[in-house]
Amino acid sequence: MSQELTRVLIESGVKIALFFVIVLTLIAYLTLAERRVSAWIQDRRGPNRVGPFGLLQPVADGIKFLFKEAITPLNAYRPVYLLAPALIFVPALVTFSVIPVGPPVRLFGYDIPLQIADVDNGVLIILAFASMGVYGVALAGWSSNNKYSLMGGIRSSSQMISYELAMGISLVGVLMATGSLRLNDIVQQQAQRGWNMFWQLPGFIIFLTAAFAETNRLPFDLPEAESELVAGYHTEYSGMRFSMFYMAEYANMITASALLATLYCGGYHVPGLARLGLSGNVAALLGAAAFGVKMGAFLFLYLWVRWTLPRFRYDQLMNLGWKVLLPASLLHLLWVSLIVLKGWV
Amino acid sequence: MNLLIGLIFLAGAFAAVRAFWPQRQAVFGLIAGVTGATLLAVERAALLTLQFWAGLIGFIAILSALLVILHPNPMVSVLFLILNLFCVALFYLFLQAQFLAAIQVIVYAGAIMVLFLFVIMLLNLRVEEGLHLTGGVQRPAAFVLGTAFAGVLFWAILHRRDRPFLEPPGSAEGFGTARDLGVLLFGRYLFAFEAASILLVAAMIGAVLLAKRRLQ
Repeated sequence: MSQELTRVLIESGVKIALFFVIVLTLIAYLTLAERRVSAWIQDRRGPNRVGPFGLLQPVADGIKFLFKEAITPLNAYRPVYLLAPALIFVPALVTFSVIPVGPPVRLFGYDIPLQIADVDNGVLIILAFASMGVYGVALAGWSSNNKYSLMGGIRSSSQMISYELAMGISLVGVLMATGSLRLNDIVQQQAQRGWNMFWQLPGFIIFLTAAFAETNRLPFDLPEAESELVAGYHTEYSGMRFSMFYMAEYANMITASALLATLYCGGYHVPGLARLGLSGNVAALLGAAAFGVKMGAFLFLYLWVRWTLPRFRYDQLMNLGWKVLLPASLLHLLWVSLIVLKGWV
Repeated sequence: MNLLIGLIFLAGAFAAVRAFWPQRQAVFGLIAGVTGATLLAVERAALLTLQFWAGLIGFIAILSALLVILHPNPMVSVLFLILNLFCVALFYLFLQAQFLAAIQVIVYAGAIMVLFLFVIMLLNLRVEEGLHLTGGVQRPAAFVLGTAFAGVLFWAILHRRDRPFLEPPGSAEGFGTARDLGVLLFGRYLFAFEAASILLVAAMIGAVLLAKRRLQ
């Protein structure tokens, strides 16, 4: 084994382990944040008994989930029933591997990018794995052999297909402005001529709305609408398997927030940082921190919206997706191509 | 190659034991695991060769393709078809066509198979229903065409036997990227590209028209 290969393998292995741990911790604390923020919005106190400020609550929840009985319904189709939670959880985590968290740092004489894989078509890989997320939900609904679950699964797959279109088309605006599918190039281009969020505001709003629908969050959480479908596609799941769905929802939120930060808010770019003349590693750490802050802002937006807006009706959801967002994204594409053609930006 | 054959043999033996002696699974699983681990340790140099991974993925592709046809549950068939399409995407990656690999996953594994899944879920086909081959030309035609296809494949294998197992078609910088493909599509193959797009639009409008006519 050559030395270069060994180095690459070790570097990637360490980065994958680090990303995995960070995202899983973030998921755990996001569940706590959701409960605290909801309590704050509704003028309650929220969980504050386990540890200081309730900080150990996720640990208690995890232990509780592990010790609950995992029930398989008698008429469920067992192999698919067991596979579904993994199918929904894995794509959410894989997507994170192409997102650049910060500029490269210099360690032990090597330039190490703060990104697991700097691939040439990163945006396409994200789209590919985002479309894989449908299977977990749809199969969970089908294999439980329960009417409510099946309804939830079907709703979720049609909802995700509908909003993927608007999401993809608004994304084309960003790609047109950059001329590259590499996420690092998109960040660098935004550092040069301002964040995409400002001059592509319609695209940003469409992408944000579609991201809410893709992650099945309120106001688009129809696949698990309690008032109609008991709990939707995960009605029949219990114990750790149920919590896998929960974790997948938060993992999807984290990935969507990271994507929004990267594509529209300049990723790890901090305005004016280059003028300060800081050394490479300090600037890289500040960049990564800025990425974290941007991601955190979007995560807060997710929680805020959930506890503020009511749920859409199913026909309203479909009307919004096909009759408003899709034409709007096409118009936006026209506008962006005009700007790019004339060279106004 | 030894490693690949060994692992495939072990997997086959394990499946056979599972099917014929359901009560002896644990012991045999342990033996198979230990043997597999030893095999991996002895032949660990093979783990870094392209041949091993291409062979493994090819094996999974063939196995999943067979299971698509043979599995009685249509839902499981769909899942194996997705796995098969993934393997094809990986083959594109081996041939350095990274853009095509991503598109393969988005279009086939992502979009088209969701529709398959959707239809089967809505029809709720539990076991194989309504597939009764009647007489007529279908069966002999299938036999002839299948034999012909097998012959072509066999000829191709014989023909290419002395070439390297996997040779990347292009070693040029940027081969297989979106930029490279775009230059080709909108330059040299512009006419074919536009013709295909017109064909697709016509098909889409036709499908919508047919569906609407039945509604009224």
